[in-house]
Formats: sequence, structure tokens, C-alpha cells
Amino acid sequence: MTANYVDAGQAVPLSTLSDVEGRAPATSNVDYDRILAARSEPQNWLAYYGTYDGQRYSQLDQITKDNVGKLTAAWVFQAGSTGLHSGASTYSFEAAPIVVEGVMYVSGADGYVWALDAKTGEELWRYKHASPFDVSLCCGNVNRGVAVGHGMVYLATLNAHLVALDARSGERVWDVTAGDVRAGESRTVAPLLVKDMVLVGSSGGEFGTRGHLDAFDARTGERRWRCYTVPKPGEPGSETWPDDGEAWQRGGGNCWVTPTYDPDLNLIFQGTGNPAPDFDGAVRPGDNLYTDCTIAIDADTGEIRWHYQFTPHDLWDYDSTMENLLFEHEGRKLLAHADKNGYFFVLDAATGELVRVFPFVDRITWGEISRDGQVTPKVYPDEEGVPVHFWPGPAGGKEWTHMAYSPQTGLIYVPVQEVGATATRRRREFQESIPYWGAGVAVDLDDHYGYVAAIDPLSGEEKWRWRNEYPMCASVLTTAGGLVFTGLPTGEFVALDAETGEQKWQFQCGSGHHSSPTTYEVDGRQHIAVPTGWGGWIEGFLPGLLGGAAGNALFAFALPE
Amino acid sequence: MTATAGNRTTELTAAGLDGQNKATLGRMLGSGNIGHAAEDANGRMSATVRIREDELCWDPDILVLPHGGDLDLTLINDDKNTHCAVLPSNGDNMIIWLVNNSRGTAALNLQGPGYYWYGSTTGNDEGRGLTAAIVVSGEVPREARLDRPAQPRP
Repeated sequence: MTANYVDAGQAVPLSTLSDVEGRAPATSNVDYDRILAARSEPQNWLAYYGTYDGQRYSQLDQITKDNVGKLTAAWVFQAGSTGLHSGASTYSFEAAPIVVEGVMYVSGADGYVWALDAKTGEELWRYKHASPFDVSLCCGNVNRGVAVGHGMVYLATLNAHLVALDARSGERVWDVTAGDVRAGESRTVAPLLVKDMVLVGSSGGEFGTRGHLDAFDARTGERRWRCYTVPKPGEPGSETWPDDGEAWQRGGGNCWVTPTYDPDLNLIFQGTGNPAPDFDGAVRPGDNLYTDCTIAIDADTGEIRWHYQFTPHDLWDYDSTMENLLFEHEGRKLLAHADKNGYFFVLDAATGELVRVFPFVDRITWGEISRDGQVTPKVYPDEEGVPVHFWPGPAGGKEWTHMAYSPQTGLIYVPVQEVGATATRRRREFQESIPYWGAGVAVDLDDHYGYVAAIDPLSGEEKWRWRNEYPMCASVLTTAGGLVFTGLPTGEFVALDAETGEQKWQFQCGSGHHSSPTTYEVDGRQHIAVPTGWGGWIEGFLPGLLGGAAGNALFAFALPE
Repeated sequence: MTATAGNRTTELTAAGLDGQNKATLGRMLGSGNIGHAAEDANGRMSATVRIREDELCWDPDILVLPHGGDLDLTLINDDKNTHCAVLPSNGDNMIIWLVNNSRGTAALNLQGPGYYWYGSTTGNDEGRGLTAAIVVSGEVPREARLDRPAQPRP
């Protein structure tokens, strides 16, 4: 050893050894009023679903069914990372890119956020949240996106923090601990700005947490309210849990998908996750409210105004976290929800009253739901050690990846997964932060397929179907150009005719899709942006492609200049 | 097959797992020493890690912090080869180049609880043994915990 060392100096941010400038152009302010009117500025994609109603519809119409065949890659952003990170084999690029006046904000796996030039793909700044290697993650190292507003970019992290970044520099403005990683909590959801609050739901249902939706002050990070989805003894809904047990304490019902919102009703529509343990219902007799529900939450108080439960006393891991798409018919506010259990529900958004229910998948064996909503379970793992096969599997007929609604056609385009599974009940004691499934589960390696279904929500009729060899595991986007865009597990990104389902275009992105494409316009040119990167809970939704090519890139497509 | 259950350090050495080019080509990750950061009156933490000659291992290999927060880390390369360190920190990963016989510092901000890997990202230093862990101990703030009675832990 030598006493006189060479001075190595001080460690510097890795991005300083890149061409990243660390600054993004100033944009005009994004706030609640602007997001309310987001449809009036289709050149931007201001919130997770584009608009509060969750329609994932854009009025941009430069790219049409007649010219989409000329669509080409305008740029590609590669999001690879350095070193060992949590979920090293399960990372996936799941985000929905947000675009404000030519600046794109997008999150990746493992705590990354980037600001990109939406015209060129140039990286303007990056933020890297230090994410512990050992966080509990049921379903991969993933993040579904950011919220932008009040000059900030909001990120929910794997270690259950909510971080606000300066939208111009990416520097941290504030950081709050939102959940308990020792309890198995994490955060993977894209936050949503409502009024002056940031809404962030919990992840961790497979670890027996107690699900909730939080509202934080958008400027300070102070928590305004928390809405638990599993009631304590004595609270409304507690009668659906054992009154002498501890089941409610580990009841699940997490909120890991972004809610939708109706400003007139002042209601937040949040889907809730499965009860815990997923498959062992004997330890939690009762309907287990408010798991597997849509809950309508008063935006000002966090109180539940109504609920609708899709799978009472769930025994199949049928989360109902997925979106609650809002639309109107003859002045009536309606809510559409395609559940994991294979049924499509239309509810009255003001009251939660069931308007219509019908199956949207081909194979349903777990049970049956009648036209008036009565649920009859048929096949479920109730005997210790006895395998039970059922359809849909635990990833559902549709998982979190989103459907889209076109006001032009009146159709909802649903990405469908046809894959079953076998569950064998195996009781285990609860231990904090340890998976709490109550079964061994093997999802089918074959006998699977998928399709995009174009569904008339008013009649339940399937107008057309675009079939794929593999289940469809990515969100759908629809545009005023008469097109439906979505990605395949095998890497192709496709455009379909919204009226007929005819495929009009495709591009091979090199890795499977499990994200939410968005669209925007910059300098008069419409782009379609889609993150690609096959990963996440593949063993749940498509284990037959566990060996599919990994990736981590964002493609932006446009017509030739 | 037999499994070892005795003194782990002795077993690692006997099996040729704790050095270079013995049973393994490089040193098994996590087979080095354990150290603890110091803490000043303001809660700011400090520690030193070094690379000893031809060992291709950070010493300590596992650095334990009492809680999340700011860490001033001194890095010393006593090896006769050049290495570096890419370290986790909130904001961006931090990098420092460590030529032979050099000494530098890194100011890191890490949240807890949980642990993080860092390593020398040149050649395959990471695989040869220059991957180490920073462990952040403690609990999350009370206001971030679930409203439920204390639960059993493993």
C-alpha cells in the first residue's frame, strides 16, 4: 500500500459522461383545467390515458387507413441500463409516454425517467431513482408511466416512494415515502393529477398487503387522504370478512392501475386487485369487499360512494384493477370494464348500477355470470393438493393493458388473452413480505391465442376480431384517422382498420410489447410512440414466450417528411 | 451431494471461492468482509471501501448503513490495475474512475430499507468480484406504514 494516492476526485453523475444536456425547454403549465380539456389539444398527450375518461382516443387524423402503409420509424430511444438492478430478469418497458409541446416524459424500469425531444428522440434529461435490489415484486421490475403538471413530473417508485421532479431539469423537488417495503409494498402505477392532487395506488397484493389509493398535495407531497380498499372491523364492507380473524389485515385489493375520473360526478373510478391469499379462500370466507371491484371515490374526501364487485370471494387471482373507461350514451354516463374473469361490464357511472354484462373471451370455465350479474363459481382450487384447471388463467381474459374507445365507430377495442392455468391449493401461513398465494400455479404453455375484439358496448356484439397466434398483452390506441394501433408479444407493432379490423401496416420492433402506445403531433407531424421491451409477469400471461427476446426501446413512428 | 454448515469463511476458502483463479475464475460475490458506516451527530454517514492488490474485491464487500440518507464514501484503489465504480444514488448513478493507487470520494443519497449493488464497470470487473453491496437498514417512517396490527415476519 502506498501512502500518497493519486487524487481520483469526486464521483460524478453518469449522465454527465453522455450527450445529455440536463435541460428541457420550458412548456406552458399543465394543470387540472388543462387536463380537463385535454381533448382540445390532441397534439399533446397530457395524462396517462390521454384524457380523464380513459378512452385512449386521439383526434389526430394525419395518419389514416389510406396512408398508414407508409408509416416509418422517425426515431428510436434505447433505454438500456448499467449494473445489477432489481428484477434483473423481469424488467419490462410498460409506460405510456406523456407529451407536452414537443417534450416527451417517459419512465422505464428501475426508477428511470427521461425527458426526450419528441421530434428527434434526443435525451434532454434523465432521473434515476436508486431502487433497492431486494424490493418485493410480484410481477417484475416495471413502471407504467409518469404524470406531468405544475412544472413537475411525478414518479411512483418500486420502493414505494412518490417523487416530484422539476420538469425542466429532472432534479428532485420532493420525495415522500408512500408505502412500506418491509410489508411487501411497492409502486408501479402511473400517477394521475386530479385538481391539486396526485393520485397513487398501491402494489403488493401477492404479499398480503392492505390495498389503498392515496391522494397527495401536488405541490408539497403532503398526503391529503388515503382510501383503504379493505375495511377494518366495523367499517362498511367489513361484514364480508371473517369477524374474528386477521384476514382483513392482509386482504389485498391493491390499486396498481391508474384510475379514471369524471369531473361532473367528482368521482374517481378505481379498479381494485385480488384478495389475498389469491387462491386459498378458506382463510377469508365472505365476499371480501372491496377486492375485485370498481370503487367510485369522492375526489375531495377519499370516501367510497359506490362499488361494484366483479368476482366476489375471488379464488382465481382475478384482479379488477384494469381501467374503467367512461363514455356517454343518450346523456347517460356509462362505465365500461373488461375484467380478468372474462366478462365485460357496463355500469351506470353515477350509481354503479349494472347496465349490461357479457363474455368477451371464448373460454370461461371458472364460473358463470348471468345477465343480471349473479355470479356462480364452478371450478376453483378448494381442496388441498388437488390441481384445478380453469380459463381464463390468473392473468385474465384481459390484464392491465388497456382497451380504447372510438367515438367515430362507437366501438371499444379490447386486447384479449386466451390462456388457461392450473392452480393447486397449498396453504401457507402469512409472513410479511413473503408471497402469499395459497397455491402452486402453472399457466398453460400452449393452447393459447389472442385477438383484438371490436365490441359494441351498447349491445355486447363483437363487430370484428383480429386474431393472433399469441395472447394480446399490450394496450390499444385508436385515432380519428380510423385506425387501431397495438403491439404483439412477438415484437410487431400493427395498425388495424377501426371499422373492419383489416391489418393495414406492421413494423417489427425486435422485442415484445407490454406497454401503452400514445400519439402526439410536433411541428405539424403526427407521431405514434410505443415503448417495447418484453418482460414483467410473462409467466402469468404468456409463459410460452418466456424465452422471447428482451428489449428496452421506445419507437416513434411518423409518415415520411 | 453434501452441504456445508460450518464456519462460512473457512468453507469459502476451502472451496476456493473467495479469491481469484482458484475453484472459480473470479471471486464469488458477497464472499468478502462486512463493514458498517459511521454516523455523525447530524445523521450523515461515512465509510471507506478499498480494492486490495490482486483481490478484485471491495473491502468491505458488504457495507451496512444504519438508515437511509446521505453517505460520504471514500474509495481507494490499492490494486496495480485500473478500476472504477458506478454507484447508486438518487438522481443518477455516480461514476468515479480509479487508476492504480488512487483515492476518491462519492456523495450518495440512498433510501431505505433495502440493499443496492455497485461495481467496477470496466472489463468484467463486476464478474471477477468487484461487485459489492450497500445495505440500508431500518424501517420506513411510521406514517408510511399500513394501518393494521403488527404482522409476523420471517
